[in-house]
Amino acid sequence: MVAVVDPDEDLVRRVGLGDPAASQALVERKLPRILALAQRMLGDAAEAEDVAQEAMLKAWRQAPTWQAGKAKFDTWLHRVALNLCYDRLRRRREIPTDAPPDRPDEGPAPDRGLLAAETGRRVDAALARLPERQREAIVLCHYQELTNIEAAALMEISVEALESLLSRGRRALRAALADLSPRSDGRRAGDGR
Amino acid sequence: MKIDRLEVLAEAYGADLSRWPAHERAFAESLIAADPAARAVLEDAAALDALLDASPRIVASAALTARVLASAPKRKASRGHLGRVFWILGAGWAAAACAGVVAGVGLTSHVTANERADAILYQATLSGVDDTEVLG
Repeated sequence: MVAVVDPDEDLVRRVGLGDPAASQALVERKLPRILALAQRMLGDAAEAEDVAQEAMLKAWRQAPTWQAGKAKFDTWLHRVALNLCYDRLRRRREIPTDAPPDRPDEGPAPDRGLLAAETGRRVDAALARLPERQREAIVLCHYQELTNIEAAALMEISVEALESLLSRGRRALRAALADLSPRSDGRRAGDGR
Repeated sequence: MKIDRLEVLAEAYGADLSRWPAHERAFAESLIAADPAARAVLEDAAALDALLDASPRIVASAALTARVLASAPKRKASRGHLGRVFWILGAGWAAAACAGVVAGVGLTSHVTANERADAILYQATLSGVDDTEVLG
C-alpha cells in the first residue's frame, strides 16, 4: 500500500502531544472548512456549528492515536463531519417540521444591479434546494476543493457516478440562477474564477 | 479528446482545469487552444463557477473557536528539575525505610530464637526430672 502524503501529519502529531500552538493552528486550518461543509450541507448555521464542534471534538480524541500514512487527516475529518450531517438530515426526514429547513428562494430581484450579498443568498438558496447527493457532490468538489477521487471515495460511489451527480446539480443550479447569469442580459461571461 | 467529452467534463467540474481529472487536462488544453467551440463551452462553465463563488464565505465565530479550543488535548504536567530532585530524595527515603524493615524483621527473628531456646532450658530445669530418669 502506498503511504499517503498528508500535509497535516506533523500538526496532528503535535496536537496529540498536547501542544497548544498546534491545536490553535489546526483550528484555524480546519474549523472554517468543516463549518462551511456543514452549513452548505444543512443550510442551517446553528446546526452547522454543532456539527463542526462535534467533528473537532472527535479530531481531538483521534489525534493522540492518529496513524500517519494510512489516510489524509482532512479526508478523515470530512468523513466524520459528513456522517454527522447525514444523521441530522436523516432525523429531519423522520421528524418532519412545519418550517422547511431550506431557505426559500424569493425569486429574482427587480433590479439587475443586485448586491453581491443578494446574489450569494440566491446561490445558497438554490444550492439548498438541490437533492442531497447532488448538493454533496458540488459542495465537496467546488467548495471544499477535494479531488474527484477523494469526493467519490467519501461518497462511496464511482468517479463516473460523481460526474453524473455534478452535472445534474450544475444544470439545476444554472436553471435556478439563469436570471443572474451575465449572459442573460447579453453580457459576456467574465474570466471566471 | 473530442468536444463532447470536454462538454461532459466542463458540465461536471466547471471551467477550472485544475479540478478536472489529471489525465484529461493536457488534451483539454490543446483542444481549447485549437477550437473556438471548446472555448465557448469553458466560458459557459466559468459563468456558473462565478455564480457559485458568490456564495458568502463562511467564517467561524470567536465563540465557536473558543469552545473548540477549550476542548483541545492538554499537555500532561511534566516534572521540572526540582521535581526530579524531590522524586529521587523520596525514592532514597523509601529504600532506606524498606531496608530498615528487613533488618528489623531479621533481628527480631534472631532474638526470638535465642529467647525460645532459653525458655526451653529454663522449663527443663523447673521440671526437675532428669531425662535419664524418664528414659531409663
